[in-house]
Amino acid sequence: MSEMIKETKLQKALAAVGRGAVYIVMSLFALMTLYPIFWLIMNSFKTTREFQVSQLAFPRAPTLQNYVEAWKMGDFGLLFPNSVLYTLGATAGIIFLSLMAGFAFAKLKSRATKPIYNSFVIGILLTTQTLMIPLFLEVNLLGLYNTRLAVLLVYIGAGLPIGIYLATEYIKAIPSAVVESARIDGAGFFTIFLKIIVPMSVPVATTLAMLNITGLWNEFALINILVSKTELKSLPLGIYKFSGSLSTDYGKQFAALTIGMVPMLVFYMIFRKQITKGVAAGAIKG
Amino acid sequence: MRCKGAAKKRFNKRCKKWNAVYESLAISGVAMVHLNRVHLEEKRAYWAMVMPAFALYLLVMAFPIILSIMLSVSNYSGGRMFGGEKWGFAGFSSYARVFTDPWFWNALKNNLYIVLISVFGQLPLGFIFAYFIYSKIVRAPSFWQGVLYVPNIISVIVVGLLWQVIFSPHGPIAEIVNSIHASSFQGQLKAIFDGAGGFSLSDDVIKKILHLAGPSGQAMFSDPVPELRDLLASYNGQPISEIYTALSNLFVQKWSPAFLTKTDIAMLPVLFVILWMYTGMYLILFLANMQKIDAQIIESARIDGANEGQVMRYIILPALSGTIVNSAILAISGSLSSFALIFAMTGGGPSRVTEILSIYMYNNAFLGRPNFPLANAISLIMVLISVVLIVLTKAVEKRYGGKEE
Repeated sequence: MSEMIKETKLQKALAAVGRGAVYIVMSLFALMTLYPIFWLIMNSFKTTREFQVSQLAFPRAPTLQNYVEAWKMGDFGLLFPNSVLYTLGATAGIIFLSLMAGFAFAKLKSRATKPIYNSFVIGILLTTQTLMIPLFLEVNLLGLYNTRLAVLLVYIGAGLPIGIYLATEYIKAIPSAVVESARIDGAGFFTIFLKIIVPMSVPVATTLAMLNITGLWNEFALINILVSKTELKSLPLGIYKFSGSLSTDYGKQFAALTIGMVPMLVFYMIFRKQITKGVAAGAIKG
Repeated sequence: MRCKGAAKKRFNKRCKKWNAVYESLAISGVAMVHLNRVHLEEKRAYWAMVMPAFALYLLVMAFPIILSIMLSVSNYSGGRMFGGEKWGFAGFSSYARVFTDPWFWNALKNNLYIVLISVFGQLPLGFIFAYFIYSKIVRAPSFWQGVLYVPNIISVIVVGLLWQVIFSPHGPIAEIVNSIHASSFQGQLKAIFDGAGGFSLSDDVIKKILHLAGPSGQAMFSDPVPELRDLLASYNGQPISEIYTALSNLFVQKWSPAFLTKTDIAMLPVLFVILWMYTGMYLILFLANMQKIDAQIIESARIDGANEGQVMRYIILPALSGTIVNSAILAISGSLSSFALIFAMTGGGPSRVTEILSIYMYNNAFLGRPNFPLANAISLIMVLISVVLIVLTKAVEKRYGGKEE
């Protein structure tokens, strides 16, 4: 009896040690995650000279000068509204088109569903970045180079595969009786879509919004080949400008990086739960 | 018209079929008209709802692939594609060039490294962290999830440039190492002065300092002992800590890390950042799928005396096998689509050693004289790799499909 108690005591001690080790490992990883971000924000309030002398200490006389200059130099006043337009416009387009096509695939009968739906599902793994050179040539061919329309069309098209997959799977789970009874009452398909399916699809629409807003706000590879005019660029393109000739002006570079990072950090703090759910749902099999 | 007489004899089978059709039409005529109308409405609605999405999808997926196929076997050299300069079929020389280009294999190798760090770094780490949270070994699950996912929501451009500075000679790693060197040097200085009973310019102290400075420090003077004494004498009266700082600034050699400028190790920081960035994503993925496991199964297994290892081996791992395999495939397709992180962090340098396929393609199209046939051949090769992946996924889904969810 006493031996058994001893053993459980030993086990308890071991478990406590193990638990402590786990906490240490995870804390180290968390520190490694947060410290660079903290370091960046902290140093964005130092002058470049102070940064070169001391990088690890708090700023002696915090200054906003870097932000003022970086904002002007990066034309962020122009790029910020562009980023908002591209992100929200394309996200709205992806959600609307995905729900509409998803409704058709899930509830209307057609022999075309199988091949078309499967081609979308294949697109989940066939990433658009792979096609950036032919896309660049196509956009030029269509005369859409350096237009907001091209950015929106490409973003929507690239976001549709995952959007349609999630929307179709979600709408499939809505009982068909809902649609049928509305049909008997004489409602047309578009009325059913707008009045019944859209309101019932808010959860999947939220998931899609989270996935696409976080993805598109940070998108770089595609817009990099679609526009070259400053007044059409998005924030990531503006931030990238600070890597070349300005790379030794650390103060301004850090301010620019912080400007690019903070909106998404705030968005993440507000919608963390929904974003987490979206990631788990979005990273699905092809 | 119904089949009769001689015609019926000659084409017996076909006549029977036609007669049956006529009959059924006669019987269900009214119903058919109605059904047709309903069916037509559904058909119209179907296409009206599917076409906008499908057309857009063709525009950004199918059309570029067709264009890519055309251009990859052509001698197109830029300019107006139709009605402009003439360009035509040039065979498969671009493909031959890609496959014989050592830089292609270099880029492919780097993509493979990214896949390997994902599969053997991010996945296991993400899995282990997810298990720690799932089994409640650590408290505050949403805190850990929330923190470890943060790098994923920052723009890869920001991440790339941030780590570029961190790994640079002007970054905090260099400063930490140098400040450790400096403080150890100052500690030894303090020991010398303490041994001499405070600030002193005796020969013994000067010689000890010069010994500490090493040959490179001594080489700064033509006649070390008197020159250093003069230097120290000029500090007389000032706080001793100033002398320590001045001497360590003078003698301690600054370490200048070359993580991103040495060709043989430049890929390591890149892989580290990829591990840093995406581990949180796999953590969320695995945790979400662990939480789908029926808790009662694990509970009853525990009651039956199963230990942690057995629960992991016989319940959790089998339940997540599909997720693990799919994550691996996700990692491969992610490595193919990755571009901006390395583009911002190293630009493929130094001397092209960190190029991945997408940057290799990009540089062939936009750097220097554009070679569009070559770039399109690379693009198609990447598409082909993706297609192989999709086939693989389908096979995996068949094998593991039932176990998921």
